[in-house]
Amino acid sequence: MKVDIALFAYLADHQPDGLGGRHARTFDLPEGTTIADMIATLGLPDQPRVVFVNNRHAPEDSVLHDGDRLAIFPPVAGG
Amino acid sequence: MPETPDLHPHGRPSIDVAVPPPGHEGALRARLHASSVAIVGCGGLGSNVAAMLLRSGVRTLTLIDFDAVDASNLNRQLFFRDQIGRPKTEALAETLLRIDPEARLTLHTCRMTADNLADLVRGADVIVEAVDRADTKAMIVNTCMTTFPETPLVTASGLAGYGSANAVVTERPCENLYLVGDLTSDVTAGHPLFASRVMVAAAHEAHAAIRRLLGFDEP
Repeated sequence: MKVDIALFAYLADHQPDGLGGRHARTFDLPEGTTIADMIATLGLPDQPRVVFVNNRHAPEDSVLHDGDRLAIFPPVAGG
Repeated sequence: MPETPDLHPHGRPSIDVAVPPPGHEGALRARLHASSVAIVGCGGLGSNVAAMLLRSGVRTLTLIDFDAVDASNLNRQLFFRDQIGRPKTEALAETLLRIDPEARLTLHTCRMTADNLADLVRGADVIVEAVDRADTKAMIVNTCMTTFPETPLVTASGLAGYGSANAVVTERPCENLYLVGDLTSDVTAGHPLFASRVMVAAAHEAHAAIRRLLGFDEP
């Protein structure tokens, strides 16, 4: 299945193509892949993050589906 | 009332709200008067967001913060030396009522958690995240977008340091989420908080809320 994944801010450095940037890349993933699986595969640091699938928040144990758009954003401190 | 997209050429009219044409500022003000905003956190962002919203006509505000005013807050937060030691919610309410005695303020002087947050912000037309910690920001965004997916949420990330004020922007990464900041300047990485840049971010948050209440979205 094909899933688009966009990583914001410093997480963009974890895109496999090494090019950085927040634009989505398309991944070909096996059926049943979860958001947590992708977080591990991409090697994202264990820092606070906001996870969206198709514009809605999704828990990290959610299974991804063909055509989904996953976006992960890491808030940083200050206020 | 006719829509007038030219009123704000950098935004598109949206939702189901018709924006009054120029010369009908009273209608704009009436719409803001009828709106409510919940502000989660009353520090550098939240205290200034509250004042800007009130000055712009949003008279119904919910203020949420567990903390008390400290001398170290006075470099960027809308508090005064004679308010040190008082709950931020109460001190801020006192200041807001000096600006507009008709302000309708609901105060929650408590620590917000994933369990109580929904009850604290329920019913607001817009929710503004204005806390300092990254993990609390993530909790607020995740909780609000799960519990109230139809309620616009304004959040801020990346406002510390002496980077250009022009790097602080408002964007809309998904339908009901407005994201303010440069996304990277982390106070815990040693960047100091300057009143000027914090207030740029606070102004972005307040203005994003106002634009949404008037029916405009960011691109």
